[in-house]
Amino acid sequence: MSRRSHRPTVRMALAACALLAASPALLAQTPEPPPFYAITDVEVVTGTGEVLQGATVLIADGLIEAVGQGLEVPGDARVYEGAGLKLYPGMVDALTQIGVKSDNGGNQQSSGGGGNPFQPSGPQIRGPEDRPRTTPWKSPADDLDAAAAAIESWREAGFTSAVVAPGDGFFPGQAAWINLGGGEADALVVATPIAQRIEFPTGGFGTYPGSLMGVLSYVRQVLEDADHHADALAIYERSPAGRQRPEYDRTLEPLIAAREAALPFLLPAVTGPQIDRALALGRRYELRTVLVGAHQAYRRLDRIAASGAPVIVSLEWPEEPKDRAPDAEDAFRDLAHRRLAPSTPRRLAEAGIPFAFTSGGLKNSGDVWKGVRAAIAAGLSEQAALAALTTTPAELFGVADRVGTIEKGKIANLVLATAAPWAEDAEIHHVFVDGHPYGDGAEEEEEDAEPPSVDVSGTWTLTMTTPGGEVEMTAELEQGEDGKVTGEIRSERGETTLKDGRVAANVLTFEVSQETPRGTMDASYRAEVEGESLEGTLSAGPMSFEVAGARTSAAPAGGAGDGESGDEAEVEVADSELEELWRLYQGPVDEGDDFAIVGATVHTVSGETIENGTVVVQGGEIRAVGRGARVPGGLRTIDGAGLHLIPGIIDAHSHIAVEGSVNEGSLNVTSMVGIEDVVDPDDISIYRALAGGVTAINILHGSANPIGGKNAVIKLRWGQDADGLFFAGAPPGIKFALGENPKRSRGGFGPGRYPATRMCVIDVIRQAFVDAKAYQKEWRDYEAARAAGREPIPPRRDFELEPLVEILEGERLVHAHCYRADEILQLIRLADEMGFQIATLQHVLEGYKVADEIAAHGAGASTFSDWWGYKVEAYDAIPHNAALMTERGVLVSINSDSGEEMRHLNHEAAKTIRWGGLSEREALALVTLNPARQLRIDDRVGSIEVGKDADLVLYRGHPLDASSVVLKTFVDGRLYFDLEADRERQQAIDAMKDRLVGRGEDETGDGEQTPDATPDATPDPDATDSAEPRQGAAR
Amino acid sequence: MNSSRIAHAALVAVLTLAATGPATVATAETLVLRGGTVHSMVPGAAASVADVVVQDGRIVSVGAAAQAPAGARVVDVAGLDVYPGFFDAMSTIGLIEISSIDATVDAAEMPAYNPHLRAATAIHPDSEVIPVSRSTGITHSLVSPQAGQDGVIPGQASLVHLDGWTVEEMSIEPSAAMVIAWPQIRTRRFDFSTFTLKESSYSEAKKEAEEALKALEGWLDAARHYAKAQAAGSQRTERNLQLEHLAKVLDGGQRVVILANAKSDIEAAVEFAEEQGLNMILAGGRDAWKVTEMLAEKQIPVILGLVAELPNQDDHPYDRPFGVAGALRAAGVRIAFGSAVPSGGFGGPDGPHSARTLPFEAGMATGYGLSREDALRALTVAPAEIFGVADQLGTIEVGKRANLVVVEGDPLAIRSAVRHLIVDGKEVELGTDRHSRLYERFRSRPTSD
Repeated sequence: MSRRSHRPTVRMALAACALLAASPALLAQTPEPPPFYAITDVEVVTGTGEVLQGATVLIADGLIEAVGQGLEVPGDARVYEGAGLKLYPGMVDALTQIGVKSDNGGNQQSSGGGGNPFQPSGPQIRGPEDRPRTTPWKSPADDLDAAAAAIESWREAGFTSAVVAPGDGFFPGQAAWINLGGGEADALVVATPIAQRIEFPTGGFGTYPGSLMGVLSYVRQVLEDADHHADALAIYERSPAGRQRPEYDRTLEPLIAAREAALPFLLPAVTGPQIDRALALGRRYELRTVLVGAHQAYRRLDRIAASGAPVIVSLEWPEEPKDRAPDAEDAFRDLAHRRLAPSTPRRLAEAGIPFAFTSGGLKNSGDVWKGVRAAIAAGLSEQAALAALTTTPAELFGVADRVGTIEKGKIANLVLATAAPWAEDAEIHHVFVDGHPYGDGAEEEEEDAEPPSVDVSGTWTLTMTTPGGEVEMTAELEQGEDGKVTGEIRSERGETTLKDGRVAANVLTFEVSQETPRGTMDASYRAEVEGESLEGTLSAGPMSFEVAGARTSAAPAGGAGDGESGDEAEVEVADSELEELWRLYQGPVDEGDDFAIVGATVHTVSGETIENGTVVVQGGEIRAVGRGARVPGGLRTIDGAGLHLIPGIIDAHSHIAVEGSVNEGSLNVTSMVGIEDVVDPDDISIYRALAGGVTAINILHGSANPIGGKNAVIKLRWGQDADGLFFAGAPPGIKFALGENPKRSRGGFGPGRYPATRMCVIDVIRQAFVDAKAYQKEWRDYEAARAAGREPIPPRRDFELEPLVEILEGERLVHAHCYRADEILQLIRLADEMGFQIATLQHVLEGYKVADEIAAHGAGASTFSDWWGYKVEAYDAIPHNAALMTERGVLVSINSDSGEEMRHLNHEAAKTIRWGGLSEREALALVTLNPARQLRIDDRVGSIEVGKDADLVLYRGHPLDASSVVLKTFVDGRLYFDLEADRERQQAIDAMKDRLVGRGEDETGDGEQTPDATPDATPDPDATDSAEPRQGAAR
Repeated sequence: MNSSRIAHAALVAVLTLAATGPATVATAETLVLRGGTVHSMVPGAAASVADVVVQDGRIVSVGAAAQAPAGARVVDVAGLDVYPGFFDAMSTIGLIEISSIDATVDAAEMPAYNPHLRAATAIHPDSEVIPVSRSTGITHSLVSPQAGQDGVIPGQASLVHLDGWTVEEMSIEPSAAMVIAWPQIRTRRFDFSTFTLKESSYSEAKKEAEEALKALEGWLDAARHYAKAQAAGSQRTERNLQLEHLAKVLDGGQRVVILANAKSDIEAAVEFAEEQGLNMILAGGRDAWKVTEMLAEKQIPVILGLVAELPNQDDHPYDRPFGVAGALRAAGVRIAFGSAVPSGGFGGPDGPHSARTLPFEAGMATGYGLSREDALRALTVAPAEIFGVADQLGTIEVGKRANLVVVEGDPLAIRSAVRHLIVDGKEVELGTDRHSRLYERFRSRPTSD
C-alpha cells in the first residue's frame, strides 16, 4: 500500500511524540467508535468454496454477525461500500517471528557465533544434560511486542493472523496464533500454545552441539529424555513410597504436555534430505510432524503423502545470488532447483497434501505476495492459494472453528480489496482484524506520483551528518516496477529494512524504523537522485539530518524493469525436462542388472587373475566367473577384450557425502553423534568417486576428539536417498582419535579443551569405558529387577554410552585414528584391558614399527600410500608402511581420507609395489578385499566371486598404472558410471544450462574456443573463480 | 610456547637420528653408463641403445660402444632406460620440512612484497625431503618462495640440483625467476570454526584485488624510476635492495612466474605482463584450457600443478583437471609440472612432500589426452627451455650437465623402479633417504614372538 505524501509527516509527528512522551499511545488515542460495521454490495469470497455476489457482511463486536445477500444493514453500523470490490478472509502467515522479542530468555547456553569459535563466550556446555538452547516453555503469547512495525506492515498487506514462535535454539519454544490488530498484546492472542518448534542451528567447535549431526543427536536425546521422564513420573505416581522422585525438569514438561495434547511439532525441512530427516524423527518419537520450508518437496512427494505430515511452505524461494562475479556460473542443480521450487505448492495440492505458507525470512510483504504469484505461475490454483493462506493453517493449528473463512460467528478478519491480496494489481482498501477496520482506502493511492525517471537499484554508501559526527551507512536498494523500492540499510548499529520505498521522478523516499532503548523510532528519508549520487535529509520527529550518498555498485541482475525474476523466467523449459535431466545427472546410467563381461583380464583378487575371463551377473549378483564361463542365452554382453576388470574399490576412510561438519568438536567424547544422521546423498563427490572406481565407502567422523562419532558404511548408489545408500548388514562402527588432533596442539585450535597430552587422550577413553560399564550394569540390574517382578524406574537411555556398551558387547567396530607407534600400542593395551577388539587403526603411519603387536591384537590397519611430513607425527611415515605391515601379518588397506584422492586409490595401491614389493594381487587387495574384510562386509563385496554383489570396475589399461582410465563402474550390477554416457550427460547438462541462462549455441560458456581435447577428457566451458577445497585437508 | 618447545625438541631428535650428508658416491668422477636404452629427449631423436660418458659434471659422449676414459667407473645399465633427470618446475623442497611446524617452514615471508629475497638463501641442503624427492628420478628443481595470505611478491625462485654439501654446490641459477602471486578476487575463504567455505561479497573482494593490483603497479613504477636513476648515475638516490632486485624484471629481463588460476586472472595477468614488458611464465593455470589459443599465440608457457585435482564446481566434468595438460599441449602451449603450484582453491599441495609423485601425475595426464612424449618433455626439456637453461639441462647431449635417471620400466608408471641417479655428474646412492632407512631398520626388527 502506498501513501499520500502528507502521511510521513503525520507519522513523523507521532514518532516524535513517541520519543518525548511517556505513554504516547494514550495521549494520541482517538475514542473507540461503536463496534458495528457493514460491508455492502460486495463479492464475498468466503473461503469455503462459495462465492457470493452482491452480498452484505455484518460485523459486530469483532465477530461476523451475518453473511448473505439482501441483508438489512443495521442503523448503528458504519457502512463500507463494497461495490466493485471483493471481500476475502484475512490472510495467515503460518510461521513468523513477528512480534516475538528476540531476547533469548536466559537459558544457559554458549554462543558459537562471533569471536573465537574455539573460545565460546557463554558457560561451558558439558553435554546434553546441560540442555543448551532449549526453551520449550517459552511462550511468545506471554511476551508479545504489540508495537512491532511488522504487525502493521503485514496487516496492510492483507495478513490478519500469524503463527508466531521464537526461532532461536534447538527447542526455541511454543507457537501462538495471533491476530495482527493494533491493540494491546494480550488482545492479539487467539490461541496458545498451538505447537512446539524444533530447529537445527549449527555452530562451531566451541559449543555443544555444534555440528548438524550433534544437533540431531541432541534433539533425539531430549525427546528420549521426555519419554523417559513421562514414564518415570507415571511409575512414581503409581507408587511413590520407597522411590526417589523424578526431578522436575522445566525443559521436558512442556514437551510431554505438547505430545499429550497432540500439538504439531514444527520441524525444519527445506531440502530432500532434511525432509527425510524430519519425517524419521517424527516417526521415531510419534510426533505430529509439520514440515517447514519444503522447497524440495517436489523430490519427496510420495513420502510426504504417505507420512500424512502437513507442510508449511516457505515463500522465500531460492534466488540467484547477488553481488558476484560477472562470469559466475550456476551449477545445474541450483538452476533447476530455482525453477522447480515454486512448483512445490501446486504438486502438494495435486498430491492432496495439506499445506500453508510462511513468509520465511522475507522482510517485505511485497516479496511475500511475489512468492505466492510465483507459485501460481507454476500452476497453483487461486483457490488452493487461498486455502493455503486461510483455512489450511487454521485447521493445522486447531483454530478453524473461529478463523479462516467468512462465515457467521467467526472472528471478523477480513480483507476488502480489488482483487486477491497477492495479485500484482490488487489494491487493498480495508483490512478488518477482530472486527476493527484498518486502512484509509485505496482511492488515495491513485493520486500518486509521477513515474520514476531514475533507477536507484544498487549498493549505495550513505553518509549522514549529525552533530556527533558523520555516520556511514550502506544501502542495498532494488527498484521494482512502478518505482517501488525495497532494500536494506546497514550501519555499525545493525541492519534495517526500509519501508514504503518509492521513486517518483528523481525523488527517492522511504521510511525506516529503528529499535531504540526508548522504543521504536520511525524516520523518513527524502532525497534527489542525480546519476550515481544523491542528496537528501533523514527526518525523525523534530530532528533532521543531511544524508548524501554515492552508488558503489550497479543494479543486481534481474533488477529494475526486468519483470519478476530476471532473465531466467523468460526461457521456456518444462519442469519435466528438468526432472528428466536431473535423473540423468544423478542416477544410474541404466536400470538393468543382468549382463556378462566377456574377454577381460579379470582380477578376482580373492584368487588368480584370469586372462580372457568372463563374469556373469544376474539380479545384481555375480553368478559365474572364469575363462569361458557359460553365458546364458539372451544375456547382454559387454566386450571386455583388452580391458581389465577389478572388484569395486572400497575406501575405508572417507568424509564425503556428509551434510555439515564431520566433526562434533565440542566435547572430548561425542559417541552420541553419528554420520548416519547426516549422509548427504546429493553430494557430487559420490559420482566423482564412482568415476574413480569406488563402489563402497566408510564415512567416518573427524578426529577432533578421543572418542568421536559413529560412522556410516554406504554403497555409492548415486541417485538414491540416504536410506538407499546404507550398506545393509554392515556392522556399525565409531571413530576414535589419538595424538595431535584430539589434543588440539595444531595452530589455531588452542588448548581450550581437555585433553592436551597423549597421557590424557587415552585416559579420556579409559574413563568413558569405565562409565559405559557402569551404565551397562545399571541396565542389567534393571532387567533383573523386572524379571523378579518388581516395577523399577528404567534407567535413562544415554546415547553417549550406548555405543560404548555396544563396543564392549562386540557389536560396534572401533576405527581409531592414530599415528605414532606408542599411542597405537597404548590403545591396543587399553582395548585388551577393557575387553574389546579394535577393528581398524586409521592412518596408523607408524604402524610398521609395531606391526607384530597390531597383528597379535587382530586389528586391521588402514593407511595412506605415501602422505608424510605434514605434521610431526607424520614425519616417520614411509610409503613402505602398507607393505611392511602386510609382510608382518596385519590386514592392511589403503584409504584416501580425501574426496580427490579417493578417485585414484588404484594408483595409491600400486605404490606398495614400488615401495615394499607387494604383488599385484596384494596391492589390489589393499583397496578392495582388505577394506571389505576390515569393515566386515567381505561376504558381499571385495572380490570377484560367485555369490557376491556385482560391484565391478572396468578399466582401459592396467588399473595399477597411472595412465589407466575407468570405463564403467557397477554397483549391485547396475551401471552407475560409464565414460561414454558421462560425455552425453555432460553435453545435456551444458545444453540445458545454456538454455536456462539464455545463451546461444555459438556463445557456449564464456564464448572462448573449445580446446582441441581428446575423446577421453573434454574440457567444457565454465566460468567460476574458485576451486573446492581438497577434502580431508585436516588429517 | 610449551607445545612448540616440545615440537622443536622432537624435531631436533629426529633430525639428529637422520643426519647423513649428501648421498654422493664420489665427487667429480668419470662415469660410463653402459648399454642402456637412451631417451635423449632431443626432438626427433629415437631412443637407442648407447653408452653415456660423464666427466666433470658434463656429458662428454653419447653413442654406441664408447671407449671408457681412463679411471672411469663403468655402470652396466643394459636392459634399463636412461632419461634426462626430471625437473620439478616449482617446488618448496628444502624450504619446508614439516608443514605444520612453523619453526621448520621458510617458504613465506610476512610482507606482501619481497622482491629481494631468494629461495636459495633458505634451502636446507640436509632436508630429508631432498633424497625422498629424488627417489622417483627428480634431479633438479625450481625452488620457489610462497606467497602468504595477502602476499604479492614472495621473492625469487632458485634453480638447484637436488644434491650437494652446500647450497652453493646445489645451485644452478639462484635468481632464476621473480615470483608474483596475482592479486585474485577471493570471495571464498576457509572458515576453521565450521570447517566449511565461507563466501564474502564480490564487490568487496573485487575492490581489495583492484587495490592490490594498483600497489603492484606502483612497485614496478618505482623500480623503473629507480633503475633510471641508477642508470643516470644518481648519487643522491639511496640504495634500495627491493627496487634493485625488482628492476631486474623490467624490459623482459629476469623471468617472472605469475601465479594465477581463474580465467579472468590469467587474462588480466597476461595483459599486465604485456603492458609492463615482463617475460611471463604462468603458474597454476587451472582455467588455462579456456585460453589456450591466447597462451599459444603469446607464447606464454604454463607450469601446471597437480593433475589430480577436483573440478571447480559440481556440474563440471569429473576429469576436467586431468585433461588440462593435454588441452594445452594440443594447442601448442609449452608446459611443465611443479609440485608446489597453488591451484587457487583452499588447500592444494602439502609442502614439498608430494614432489616425488610428480612423474605419476604426468603419467596420469597421459590417460586424459597428453601424449607420453609430451609428458616426458614436460618433466625434462620443456622446463629447461622455459627457464632458459636448455643449454645445460633437459636432454642427453654432449656438453649438457649430467643429470640422468636410469629406470627399470616406464618412468611415468608407478610400479617402475629407479636404479641409478646421476646429479651434476655424480651418482647419488639410492635407498639412503629417510623412508628407506626407516623401512630397512624396522623391517629388521626381530619378530616379537
